[in-house]
Amino acid sequence: MEFNTPVTIALSKGRIYKQSLPLLEYAGIVPRDDPETSRKLILETSQRNVKLVIIRATDVPTYVQYGAADLGVAGKDVLLEHGGGGLYEPLDLRIARCRMMVAGVPGANLEADRLRVATKYVRTAQSYFAAQGKQVEIIKLYGSMELAPLVGLADLIVDLVESGNTLKANGLVPLQHICDISSRLIVNKAAWKMKHLVVSGLLEAFREAAQSS
Amino acid sequence: MQNERWLLPEGIDEILPPRAWELEQLRRDLLDLFHSWGYEFVIPPFVEFLESLLTGTGGDLDLQTFKLTDQVSGRLMGVRADIAPQAARIDAHRLREDTPSRLCYLGTVLHTRSDGFAGSRSPLQIGAELYGHGGVESDLEILRLMIQTLDLVGVRGVSLDLGHVGIFRSLAGQAGLDSSQESALFDALQRKAVPEIEELVAAWRLTPEQALMFEALAELNGDDALAQAGERLLAAGDDVHQALAYLRRVADGLREWMPEVPVHFDLAELRGYHFHTGTVFAAFVPDIGKEIARGGRYDGIGRAFGRARPATGFSADLKILMQAGSAGERDRDPAPKILAPWSEEPSLQHRVMELRGQGMRVIPALPGQHGAAREMGCDHELRWINGKWQLTPV
Repeated sequence: MEFNTPVTIALSKGRIYKQSLPLLEYAGIVPRDDPETSRKLILETSQRNVKLVIIRATDVPTYVQYGAADLGVAGKDVLLEHGGGGLYEPLDLRIARCRMMVAGVPGANLEADRLRVATKYVRTAQSYFAAQGKQVEIIKLYGSMELAPLVGLADLIVDLVESGNTLKANGLVPLQHICDISSRLIVNKAAWKMKHLVVSGLLEAFREAAQSS
Repeated sequence: MQNERWLLPEGIDEILPPRAWELEQLRRDLLDLFHSWGYEFVIPPFVEFLESLLTGTGGDLDLQTFKLTDQVSGRLMGVRADIAPQAARIDAHRLREDTPSRLCYLGTVLHTRSDGFAGSRSPLQIGAELYGHGGVESDLEILRLMIQTLDLVGVRGVSLDLGHVGIFRSLAGQAGLDSSQESALFDALQRKAVPEIEELVAAWRLTPEQALMFEALAELNGDDALAQAGERLLAAGDDVHQALAYLRRVADGLREWMPEVPVHFDLAELRGYHFHTGTVFAAFVPDIGKEIARGGRYDGIGRAFGRARPATGFSADLKILMQAGSAGERDRDPAPKILAPWSEEPSLQHRVMELRGQGMRVIPALPGQHGAAREMGCDHELRWINGKWQLTPV
C-alpha cells in the first residue's frame, strides 16, 4: 500500500512489539532499528512516511488520544484502565493474548466481606467486583502482585495470567476468569477522519494479517 | 515546596498580553460576522438553577456541571457547562416568537473535568443557534456559518465530519434494545470497537440481519459511506432511510455551497447523542487530535420550557480556535505607543487627547518612574520641538 501522508504508530517494547512486527511487515512496514538494542525512541521504517514511536504500554492510549501518534497497538487490559475515551479501537489483532484473572492462595474465601484486592488494574477490578455486587478494597500496586497475598497485604489479586507459571511458583492459583485479553489496533479520532485513506488501508492490511496468522 | 499561592487550579487558565488583546479583536470580528448574518447576541447568566440548566440535556452535561447551593432560595444552582441549552431556554420562554430566531453567544463555561486537548476546564464558548426551522436548509446555514467562522479565525485545511444520530436510534428501537443495552452498544460504537459490538449482538441474540446492521454502522465511514449505507442498511426501517436521505441532501448542499471543503461521513459518530436528534457534525484540522468546532440538530429541547421548536446550531472554544488559526498572529497594524513627558502644561494635555482621539496609545511618564520609553515598550516619544509637541521615533 502507499503512504502518501506521514503516519506515526505507537508501540510498546517487548511482546507487543515483537508480535506486531509480522503485521507491520504485511503492510510493507519494516523498522530500520531494533528497539531492544537501539536507544532511539522514534524508529524510521522502510516507508519514508511511516515512523514508529516506542513507549511504555500504559502510555500508548494517551499518545494516540492526543494525536501524538495516529495509530497504536495497545492491550485490552491497558484500554480498560484508560477508559478508551477519545479513541477508536476497531480491530482485535489477536496478539499478546492472555487472561485477566482473580488469583489467590488455594481455597481462598471469595465470599468474605470487604476483601482486599491488590492489583495494577484498579478500574477493571473495581467494575468486576461491583458487577458481582461485592464491595472490595482495592490496593493499587505497580508490580509483583503475587507477593501481596503471601505477606498478608491482600486477600486476592487481579492480574494478567499467561502461562500461570508465576502464580504457581508463588503458591497461588487462578480463581476466577474476568476476561480474555489481546491487543487492539487503536486510532486517533482526527487521524481517522483526516488520513482516512491511509488509516483504512492499514486497518485492512492488519485485518488480513491477523486473520491469516 | 516553596510558596505555591500563585498556582491556578488544574485546567483553569488566564490569557495575558498580547494574546488577550488578539483574542478580544477576534471576538469582535466574530460577533460582527454573526451580526451580519442576522444572529442576535444574547448574554445568558453564568449560573442558573440546575433544573433549567440541565433540562433535556442528558447525563453527560450533568457530570460536567459544577453545582452550588443558592443561599437565598435553598435550591441547587449550576455553573453553566454549555451555553446552547441556555439559548434554547431563551428562545422557548423569553422570546416566544413564531418566526425563526437566530441567536449567538460568547462566554466562559466551566467543566468539572477536562475533556479537551489542552486539558482546559474553562473553555470560552462561542456559538450560533437557529430555532424554528426543521429542514436541511437551516442545517446548511449553520454549517456555512461554522465554516465561515473558521475561515475568519484563519483556520486552514478544515474538513467536515457528518453523521446522523437518528440512524442508530432507529436501529436500536427496531431491535428492541432496552436502555442499558442501548448505552452499552452506544459506548462500543463510539470507540468503533467492532470486536465488542460482535460480542454484544451475539450475547443478545439479535437476528443476523440486525447484528450485521449494527456492525455495519461501525464501518460506515469515509467519503463513500452514504453510498454504501443504502445497501448495508437495506433491512432497516423507513426512519433510517429517511435519515440517510436527509444526510444526502445536506451533503449535496455542502458540495454546492462549499465544494472546497472535504466532507467525511461517519454514521457511528454520535457525539451529543442524548441531546441531539438529527444531523451532527464537527470540523477537524490537520495536527489537532480532536474536533475544533461541533454542532448539530436538537429538535424539541424547548418542550420542557413550554414550547418545542426545531433547533440547530454549532459551537467552539474560542481559545482553541485562536490556537488553531493564524488570525491571532496576523498583523493588526498595531497603533503606535507613545510616551509623553509628565507635565500639567495644557498644550501637552491637549496634544495627548488629540493623539488618543486618533487611535494612538499615549502613556504619560510618571515622575520618578523606573525605565524610559524603550523599556516601556514605546516606539515614539512626545517632545517639545520648535514650539510644538512633536512625535519622534525612539
